[in-house]
Parts: sequence; C-alpha cells; structure tokens
Amino acid sequence: MRIVSGSAHSILASEIATILRVPFAPSDIHVFPDGEKRVRIDEKIVGENVVVVQPTSPPVDANCMELFFLLDAVKRSGAASICAVVPYIGYQRQDHVFVSGEAVSLSVVIKILESAGIDRVVCFDLHSIKIPQLFTTTSLSHLSALPLFAELIKKNKWMEESVLVSPDMGGIRRVKQLSRQLGNMPYASIEKNRDLTTGAVSADILHGEVAKRALIVDDIISSGRTVETAAALLKEKGVERIYVFATHPVFSNETPYVLQNAPVEKVFVTNTIAVPKEKQFGKLEVLSIAPLIAEELLKPATSN
Amino acid sequence: MIGEFVLMTGRSNVLLAKQIGKLLKKKVHEPVSIFSDGEVRVRIVPNLRRRHVFIIQPTSFPVNDHLMELILMIDAARRASSSEIVAVIPYFGYSRQDRKEMPRVPISSSVVARCLEAVGVDRIMTVDIHSEQQQGFIKGAWDNLYGSYALIPALKKKHLKGIIVGSPDKGGVARATGYAKLLRADGIAIVYKERDVAINNSSETLEMVGEVKGRNVILVDDIIDTAGTITGASDFLKRRGAKQVIAAVTHGLFNGTSLERIEKSGIDKVIVTDTTALRDEVRKHPKVEMVSIAPLLAEAIRRVQTGESISSLIL
Repeated sequence: MRIVSGSAHSILASEIATILRVPFAPSDIHVFPDGEKRVRIDEKIVGENVVVVQPTSPPVDANCMELFFLLDAVKRSGAASICAVVPYIGYQRQDHVFVSGEAVSLSVVIKILESAGIDRVVCFDLHSIKIPQLFTTTSLSHLSALPLFAELIKKNKWMEESVLVSPDMGGIRRVKQLSRQLGNMPYASIEKNRDLTTGAVSADILHGEVAKRALIVDDIISSGRTVETAAALLKEKGVERIYVFATHPVFSNETPYVLQNAPVEKVFVTNTIAVPKEKQFGKLEVLSIAPLIAEELLKPATSN
Repeated sequence: MIGEFVLMTGRSNVLLAKQIGKLLKKKVHEPVSIFSDGEVRVRIVPNLRRRHVFIIQPTSFPVNDHLMELILMIDAARRASSSEIVAVIPYFGYSRQDRKEMPRVPISSSVVARCLEAVGVDRIMTVDIHSEQQQGFIKGAWDNLYGSYALIPALKKKHLKGIIVGSPDKGGVARATGYAKLLRADGIAIVYKERDVAINNSSETLEMVGEVKGRNVILVDDIIDTAGTITGASDFLKRRGAKQVIAAVTHGLFNGTSLERIEKSGIDKVIVTDTTALRDEVRKHPKVEMVSIAPLLAEAIRRVQTGESISSLIL
C-alpha cells in the first residue's frame, strides 16, 4: 500500500501512513501564475494499492481539480487499485435540485470521481442518507465520527443530567443514532427557520425536554450561526452548560469569533478538514479520524 | 433558418459573451452565483427543453473556479432537457499539460476534457487549442477555430512592407508558415533556444534561422503568459537588425511581470484577442492592441445552429 496526498490535508495523510506503517511522501504540487496546478507523485507506485487522501474542502474547486489530477496520475502510473479518501466531500449540500434549473453539483463531483477509474471511496458523515445512492460503480465506505463523540461523552460522564440536541429538524437522525450508542440517552430537536430573503436563521421552538447539560450535535459547522442561535435558545430554556459536536469544520473567516463568543463551553470537531491556525480558537478541540480511516483501509472494500 | 437556441455564460468573460449575444441578437443568461463557502451555484431560468444551448466560458484565471462553473452549467443544462450542449471555451485552461512529460504526472488537459464529457457536453468549441491532438480526448465533436480570423485583418491594416513571420520557438513553425501565407510574407524566421552541451546542458542561448535585417517581423504565438519567451525573442530579433517587431497572439494571459517585460523590451506592439477577459491595465497599455474574437465565435455558433460548414470559416 502507498499513501498519496494532495495539498488539502497532508497532515491527515501522514497520520494515516504512520498508523499503517506504510511509506508516505507528499506529492509535488506546483501552482502556475494563472492558478493551473501541476501535480506529480514522487514515489513509484506501479503494482501498488494506492490511497489518495484529499478532502475537497474550501477552496473547493481547486481542491476538487487537484484530486482529479492526482487520480489520473495514479491511474496512468499502473497502480493495482485506487482508493480515494475524501473525508469531507465538497458540494454535498447541493445533493438534489432544490429549485428547477439547478445543477446537482454533488452528483457531478461523484460522476467525475467515478470516471477516473477508481475502486473505492472513503468518506465521513454525508449530509443526507440518500447520498450513497449517487455512487454507482465505486465501493463506498461511509464512515461516521459519532463513535468518537460517543467515546468522549462516556469518558467525561456527560450522559447524566444531559440531553442531545439537534440544532435543526434535519439532524434528528444523527442525534437518534448517537443516543443509541449511548444507551438511549434523551434527545431533543430545535426547529430552525431560515428567512428566504435575508438568509437570517432563527431558532424558536424546542421539541423535547431540556436538562442541565446540552450536547449539540451536527454534521457541518460553516458560519457557526446555527450553533450560536441554538445555544442562545437552550440557555433561555434553562440549560446551564452546552457542548458542541460536529464532524466537518468548514469554517468561514467569522466562525472562530462566532463560536468563541457563543454561550458554549467547548466545540469538538474532527480533522476531516484541516483547520488552519488562524481559524483555531480557545474553545475548539479537534479529534482525529485517522485511526478510523486506517482501520477501514485494512478491511476489504465492500460492494454497493 | 436558425432554430431555437439559448446563450449562457459563467463569470469568466461576460463582456465577450455579451458581444457575441449582440451579434446574434440574443440575450445572454448568467446562471452562476457563489455560496458563502466558495461553492458555485448554478440556476438556469429560461426554458431549455429541446433547445440547443451554447455556454460561453473561457477557463482562464482563476482556472479551477471557472472550470467548475462550466461543468455545473453543463450539468444544469442537461437536467433542464437541453437537446444539445455546446461548451464554447475560447481559451482552454490546462491545455499546455497535454502529455506525460515525466513519470507519474497526469495529463491534466485530458482530465478536464473528461470532466466535461462526464457531465454530458455534446460539442466543444475552442480557439487555437495548444495542440490539436487534444480534440481526440473526447468522443464527441470538437471544433477548433483559429485566432487568425481576427488577427490577420488587424495585421493587414498596418500595411507593412517586407514582412517576415517569426516563431518564438521551434514548436510554432507550422503556425508561422500559415500566417506567412495569409500575409504574403517574404519568408519566415525561427528563434529557438540552444543548450550548450559542453556546460552541463544548463546554459541556454537564443539562436535563429532566417534573415530579418531591416524587415518588419510579425512574431506569432498562441499564448502570451509571463511574456518571457516573446520578449526574449523580440529583443534577439532587434539585435539581429529587425526594423519592427509586432507580436500577434491569440490568448493574452498577461501573468506575473508580463506588462513590465513588454514595456522594457524592444517589442513594438502586441496584438491579442479577447478570448480571455483582459484586465484594464492590459487594455490601456500603449503597446497592447486588442481585437475581438466575438465575430468569429458568433459566426461559428450561427453555423453550428444552421448546419453550415465550419471548416470554411477556418483561415
């Protein structure tokens, strides 16, 4: 096995390589003045099972194209098999036609990935349960960060006097799943409304009982506004301490300020996406998914 | 008779698209917007059912974003039941990465073509693609037009006497020969780099074949990027006695310190087309002259639409 990495997250790639004790060298990626990328894989990979690690996080288009180029280089160099580890798949929120005339951007990304002639894709916590159906020719390993969160919650004994909270109705499945992993601990959901003209998020209704401690669980944090409004509502309802758990830190520039100033104790995310120094903040803690990926790579690929 | 068709553009060269629209007397739709995390959003408003659609989008800087816009527009058009989707890509980004020049590299241009094909493009239209073999990257039709359609008339207007057409490298000889014929030039000259084998193959000097003393030299090339090659060749030609050096180039990328280089060099004029959106400082530069490629593209679109020959358009 050989681990090949793009420029989106070479730290994660090297972590996986260390756990699996396989050689790893970051690829040679040159960016021309006009933004064109030239990728080159440094080590020989002929006859090897090659794993390409590259989340397609922002800048999403550049990271996507880089991944497609890497896969092409691997394919043309005679790899025995190709597995793309894309912990966070960009464009996953555009997974169907919301308004007629739209593109289904996620289906486009998957179609191009599959056209590269790869054998397997490993990814984490897709936004909707219907997304795996978009993969038609590739074996998909759809992993979840929830077991990492469950472990942490158990270790801190946060199950007592606590409630799991989904910040919107769409995330209720995720919260139910985590509740099952934690001996059916209670859960609740907030009804979030988005003003279609201003884009402002309001959280007014809470379905379920609150407790002293609330654990907010979501898949993606981007602006942090959803967490902020959810936390404010929970505080209003009498919750004393709030902890946040989310798989993908798709942070924008304002996110660190929003979350650091929100009425929450801690924000736990995973490293499906690299969090650059300027986007780290005091309340943030990053858990590693590298062991989960390494374990999955040792298993044979399952068919769809 | 022109059947029903729709013109669309992304954000890479709206001005060019609008000019094409004006020539064809058609509205140009702009279906692209951007989400806060940088993801592209496409929403097509007009009815495309059983209509042909022409998507005008050069994939120039920032190439990856403009490429993704194009790919998503093709997907949206496909889903909106368009009967034929033509990607009009005047400048085709990544076209210089068209071969495996060393081990374990991709053929990036082929990856780009495959992306377009995977989402269902029916036809690709380009202007002066870096190497014409790239047309073989897809199963569908690929019409490659020539920038000479716009550049030759601009050069003729200068009423130059004693023209020598020059190529700034060995690869451009075929192009230079073509221009020489069209301009009824007296001959061609080729400037090329020579490596000195004696000093470890590292030292490069310019050499040339042809005679340029006292002549007006038209240097032709497909892309002007950082302008190193073309200014180097111009200075060399001037040292060899050329009277005037005018560069005629299809795609003006003008990256890095290109304008500064042009300013300082002996080059007298650079004529480029608007296959890419030219920045204001390029348009206003005294040594740069722009001719529009819109008439060529409008005519090609009209012919694709009516089923007329495109090859007779090719100069």
